[in-house]
Amino acid sequence: MDKLLNPDFGVFALTVVNFLLLVWLLHKFAWKGIIGALERREKQIADDKAAAAAARKEAEDIKAQLDSKLQNIAAEATKKMQEAVAVGNAQKEQLLAETKQEAERLLAQAKEQIQAEKTQALQEIKEQIVNTALLAATKITKEQVTQKTAAQTVDEVLSQLSERKKK
Amino acid sequence: MNISETIAHHILDHDFGVMIGTVHLPFTAHTVTMFCISVVLFLFVWGMSCNGKNIFARLLHTLGEEYVCFMRDGIVVPGMGEEGKTFLSYFCTLFLFILFSNLAGLIPEVKTITSNISVTGALAVCSGALIVYCGIKFHGVAGFIKTFVPGGTPWWLVPLIFPLEVISLIIRVCVLAIRLFANMLSGHMVLLSLLLIVFIIGQMSKIAGTGAAFPAMGLEIFMTFLELLVAFLQAYVFTLLTSIYVGLVIHSH
Repeated sequence: MDKLLNPDFGVFALTVVNFLLLVWLLHKFAWKGIIGALERREKQIADDKAAAAAARKEAEDIKAQLDSKLQNIAAEATKKMQEAVAVGNAQKEQLLAETKQEAERLLAQAKEQIQAEKTQALQEIKEQIVNTALLAATKITKEQVTQKTAAQTVDEVLSQLSERKKK
Repeated sequence: MNISETIAHHILDHDFGVMIGTVHLPFTAHTVTMFCISVVLFLFVWGMSCNGKNIFARLLHTLGEEYVCFMRDGIVVPGMGEEGKTFLSYFCTLFLFILFSNLAGLIPEVKTITSNISVTGALAVCSGALIVYCGIKFHGVAGFIKTFVPGGTPWWLVPLIFPLEVISLIIRVCVLAIRLFANMLSGHMVLLSLLLIVFIIGQMSKIAGTGAAFPAMGLEIFMTFLELLVAFLQAYVFTLLTSIYVGLVIHSH
């Protein structure tokens, strides 16, 4: 049992040589290949992930740009609509004002026309009265009518005038 | 039946006495077993590296990649940092060599080479050499020597601290060897003792021996599974501690 704790230098040296040789052989013929394949795959995955992240970032940028453009378009459309409404309202007000003005003008014109026609009619009546009066006076003077016939003549003239008025 | 002799016969190494002239070659049961394990291990790992087209080869290659990932992310990088990746091949080989050696001991008639202090000592010396190599590689000779004196140590304590730190490093290496040796030896001694109980009781009474065989076999099976666990655990502990010791030297500040 004492041998258990007594190291054998030959076994020791052979183990060292065997183990180091095994490390070298496996490194050269096995681990290198496996580690290389693993690193290549990891690099590929990392590259793919980076490419995916870049593509995603690019897509997000494009989306942000489009969103911004959409917002601008919406804002512009709202602005244009507000402007159109304002222009419409202004035109409506202007039209209403013009119409009102025109109506007032037409009304005034009609009134003026009526007034003129009224004045003209009164003038014509006056002229007729004067003419009639003159006619009556002429008749009276020509026929040397009495006071009674003069009164009859005036009544005739007045009745003629009232008939004309009725007409 | 001498129990001690029987156990010694199963545990101890047997020299085949191969001589070349007057030079005695260390061809023993343990060294021959070690060669065989090395060949099997080489073929196994080489098989893992060949990425063939059939499903078995692919599975083996995937196993190899998973194993390398486990070693790199579970042992080497946590213990040594990114610098440790340079020595990944060493640690991959070390773990599998110890594991195969430990597992080989569970096969009947195959010697457990890790229950030989010369073998575990050699592995520990290789790890010790790696520690020194990394210390010199990353800090230079003077820098490596300085790592034995922790920063902030008063100058008058240096003569005391320096030898203590050197001895500490040597002890760490020795402990690596002794831990593996003791665990594997004790496990096999327990397995052997449980088997011998049956024969010892059987010598006294055949009926009692037959009766004792059943609980002994149950214990034997339990201990075999425990040994299986210990085989993995000790390989893991040896490799992990080596990486931690190397990492301590690399990141000494």
